[in-house]
Amino acid sequence: MIFAIISLVAGALVGYFCNITIPVEYSKLFSVALLAGFDAVFGGLKAISLRTFDNVNFLSGFFANALLAVLLVYVGDNLSIDLYYVALLAFGLRIFKNLSYLRHWLIKK
Amino acid sequence: MLSFKHCKISIILACFILGFMLAVQFHSTQNSLKYSTQYQRMSDLSQRLLETERERDALKEQIKDHAITAAPALSKAEIIESGASAVKGPGVVVTVVDSDKKALADENVNLYVVHDEDMLRIVNELRAAGAEAISINGQRMVATTEIRCAGPTISVNNERSAPPFEIKAIGDAETMENALKMRGGVIETLGVWGIKINVEKKGYITIPAYNRISSFKYAVAVKKGEDK
Repeated sequence: MIFAIISLVAGALVGYFCNITIPVEYSKLFSVALLAGFDAVFGGLKAISLRTFDNVNFLSGFFANALLAVLLVYVGDNLSIDLYYVALLAFGLRIFKNLSYLRHWLIKK
Repeated sequence: MLSFKHCKISIILACFILGFMLAVQFHSTQNSLKYSTQYQRMSDLSQRLLETERERDALKEQIKDHAITAAPALSKAEIIESGASAVKGPGVVVTVVDSDKKALADENVNLYVVHDEDMLRIVNELRAAGAEAISINGQRMVATTEIRCAGPTISVNNERSAPPFEIKAIGDAETMENALKMRGGVIETLGVWGIKINVEKKGYITIPAYNRISSFKYAVAVKKGEDK
């Protein structure tokens, strides 16, 4: 758990000092990718607690989910369907679910 | 669980990427906030406010300097004539009120209200009788003052006012009153239409200063004998 947080902070620092900015029109896509990444990480933590963690599954899920979410939102934008909110809702719900599961698990432990 | 080491590395990798994305997104959101129109407008306005305040302070300083240097250069007559200061003295207060007569069906209603021309006649008459300073409803009459019809009101110094009009004039009260009341004079002609003009002699009246900044853009002063 600690190493995960440390690497998160390290990544944040690197990102902050890289001084990269994303154009406003891509900001939406990026935020969805970010959410997908969060979802995958929490899913991974849950899998660790369940002892069903699979490396390949986790990493492929992390990237595939992010890319898929971006693609979905992009297509939705071009078809003028607000799939952005769908992705937001789906990932948000899953994050909450996983978090509550982790909370239960931590309390039990 | 597979080997713990492997899953550790993959989680570290994922978290690192996640943190990186988080920071980048945070950064760009902050930046886009800076460039959003609302933010720009706000900074624009505050900039302008500051500038205007600075300008105002500079102008205040200028006024102070001018007040010190320019005041002794003008003679008393010039100060009074230009309306630069309020003046006091004996004179008359003329109040002009619209007629309360009802216009007959076939008559023009306009005949029964006070017009700019009527005011002009009164003021002219006062001037001719030696009025030294005149104000209409608190507006000092100076060289650039106009008396002009502005719809139902009369515009003096670009300031509209409606009846009743109060004309204050400093000068010889006796002469001015007689000038207004003479046979065939202003009061008699306007009295036909029921317009009430009341002249009151006063031993002491004050007339305010000209309250506009007079800046001359086109006229340039010429010294005596300098130009022909």
